Amino acid sequence: MSILNVNNVSKTYANHKALNNVSLQVEKGEIFGLLGPNGAGKTTLIRMINQITAPDTGEILLHDKQIKASDVSLIGYLPEERGLYKKMKVGEQAVYLAELKGLKPSVAVERLKIWFEKFDILSWWDKKVEELSKGMQQKVQFITTVLHEPELLIFDEPFSGFDPINTNLLKEEIVKLKEKGTTIIFSTHNMASVEEVCDSIVLLNKAKNILEGKVKDIKQLFKKNEYEVIIPAEYKIENMLCEGCKLIKKEYKDATEISILSIEKGKNAELLSKILTSTDILSYREVLPSMNDIFIHTINNYKS
Amino acid sequence: MNKIKIIIKREYLSRVRKKSFLVMTILGPLLITALWLVPFFLSHTSDSQSRIIVVDETGEAEPKSESLFKNKIKSNEEVKIEYMDDITAAQTLLKAESCDAVLEIIRTNDMPPIKSFWFYSNHEPSLRAQTNVETQLTTLFKDYYLKYNCGVPEEDIAFINNPKIDFYSKNILTGEDSYKEIKTGLGAICGFLIYFFIFLFGSQIIRSVSEEKMNRIVEVLVSSVKPAQLLTGKLIGVALVGLTQFLLWIVLTFIVITAVQSAMPQKFSAPQKEEITINERVISVDKLQDDENVQVSQIIQGLFSINYVAVISMFMFYFIAGYFLYASLFGAVGSLLDVDTDGQQFTIPITIPMMLALICIPMVMNNPSGPVAFWLSIIPFTSPIVMMIRIPFGIPVWEIILSVSLMLITICGCLWLAAKIYRTAILLYGKKITYKEIWKWLRYKN
Repeated sequence: MSILNVNNVSKTYANHKALNNVSLQVEKGEIFGLLGPNGAGKTTLIRMINQITAPDTGEILLHDKQIKASDVSLIGYLPEERGLYKKMKVGEQAVYLAELKGLKPSVAVERLKIWFEKFDILSWWDKKVEELSKGMQQKVQFITTVLHEPELLIFDEPFSGFDPINTNLLKEEIVKLKEKGTTIIFSTHNMASVEEVCDSIVLLNKAKNILEGKVKDIKQLFKKNEYEVIIPAEYKIENMLCEGCKLIKKEYKDATEISILSIEKGKNAELLSKILTSTDILSYREVLPSMNDIFIHTINNYKS
Repeated sequence: MNKIKIIIKREYLSRVRKKSFLVMTILGPLLITALWLVPFFLSHTSDSQSRIIVVDETGEAEPKSESLFKNKIKSNEEVKIEYMDDITAAQTLLKAESCDAVLEIIRTNDMPPIKSFWFYSNHEPSLRAQTNVETQLTTLFKDYYLKYNCGVPEEDIAFINNPKIDFYSKNILTGEDSYKEIKTGLGAICGFLIYFFIFLFGSQIIRSVSEEKMNRIVEVLVSSVKPAQLLTGKLIGVALVGLTQFLLWIVLTFIVITAVQSAMPQKFSAPQKEEITINERVISVDKLQDDENVQVSQIIQGLFSINYVAVISMFMFYFIAGYFLYASLFGAVGSLLDVDTDGQQFTIPITIPMMLALICIPMVMNNPSGPVAFWLSIIPFTSPIVMMIRIPFGIPVWEIILSVSLMLITICGCLWLAAKIYRTAILLYGKKITYKEIWKWLRYKN
């Protein structure tokens, strides 16, 4: 069941097309990666979902209904360009932002206490934001984004500015939110995090949707029938190859020989039995392309 | 709208709780009181009195006559006059710095028996003291000349020296006294207050909007509320802060002045009495007091003759309308600023009409129903200041209606314009914004 539908959306600014007939669909409860190089139109699309701007043509549906002003309380948004009032106290500010999302102050305070305790930052309540480090501010910002328990969360480059420990903490929280049934849209350049957490993705380039689908389907689509074979170092893989198999590269490590082979369909069994007659196989697995490779490959293909 | 209320609350509380608000609230009335007290005390401290010794030789002239100036030059708040006969002794005192100056009047045997006036000092005496003595000498000399050379009787001399005429003006249509000075004064004060308010709090809007843009909180905010709501909340919140501050200033100034007055009552009734003694020579004390009473009662009558319902309601209208007109434009300017842009190119066109109104104040005061006054009080960008000066004089109702409705229309236009610029500009970073670009935004639909 889809929670968000973007149908044929276009938007033109004075001198350039920001979105060109883009459609996509976000399933309820999934983590959805919105990918693309700089200037592809990601932020424009996110701003439209948040009703900061409106599409020239096309429509955006939330729960199959035209998105409307009151829906902002169902959405939580952590923009890439984010900040807080420097002179305002942390607690007061978090309550204020929650109130703007339609939360009652008393409820906001109650929930904030729980979150602050969880992140071990309860002692910051009465501190001014300018007294906090950048990472600390990011934590507060994350809490204010999820506090009103939105159904749809939009994170634009959420990990920028976080150290690895806090990045992990954040990832855990995001996964927990997903388990609770929250739908999450993730806009990022960080392909490693896409592989780790995203269920499906859309790749935007030059205002257009050029690739979309489940992460595992896309990987299947882009796989090049490559396998990694590890055997003890004293054997040479070249001597065991059968027809339809090709060595792409090879390296030695810890008394093992690690090779990447390109194997034609249906030749796996033949190769394996051939190797097994000479030596043990320590490891044998299919190599799927990384999202990073797919990203670069697709964008470069699109250019030419 | 509920969200606007939340924004207003934050804008209001975050400002009112600032230390600078408290400091300004306390400092304001003290400054106003000081502005009023300092000149008063300066003119009343004995330090500022120059001690001058007068040696008048005219009494020794041949043929023998009375001294022309001895005991006739009076001490007052600027000079302390003493008389001596021996010029050498006086000069010794001056050298010893026990007086500030010595005035020697050298006789001659002609009529009048004055040859020359010599003013000795060891450092430059205060110009005011010198002028003060000169003026007194001139009057005495003139009196002497009128009395002895023209034979004018003493009562006539008194009249010549102080011909008092009162200028009463009446409005021919309404038959009311017009009390021009009082009304102009009141109008000018109202106009200045409005100007002050618009600039003090308008500039806060610029700073606050650009701060939200630069620290990047604005994108978080506009995902919860509409940019127009954010701007409206800010405008109203800051207006309320301004009104609070003004109210506190008025109350505190009143309290401080009353306290100072009641602490030193004799000091504050003193100056008028002193003035009376200066003029004693000419006009009897009770007559002068009468005159003063007349003056005071005239001021009171003048103040009573003003239509306060009109003045206060118009003041409130222009105070608030002028603020919203300019503050909305300032809000737009604030959204155009970026870390390294120069706001001047956007603020100057906005401040020019305000400056124009300020420059034209004397012209309007001189002729409150002339064409300059008329047009400036109709054009919305200058009307808050100029109309306030005109209103105490009573102006045709149609002019007020025209000015007010033009004002309301322009405010709507400016709010619309500001909202449009603001909405686009607050999310635009690192790009130099030109007027051409703004023109494009204004033509966007939606």
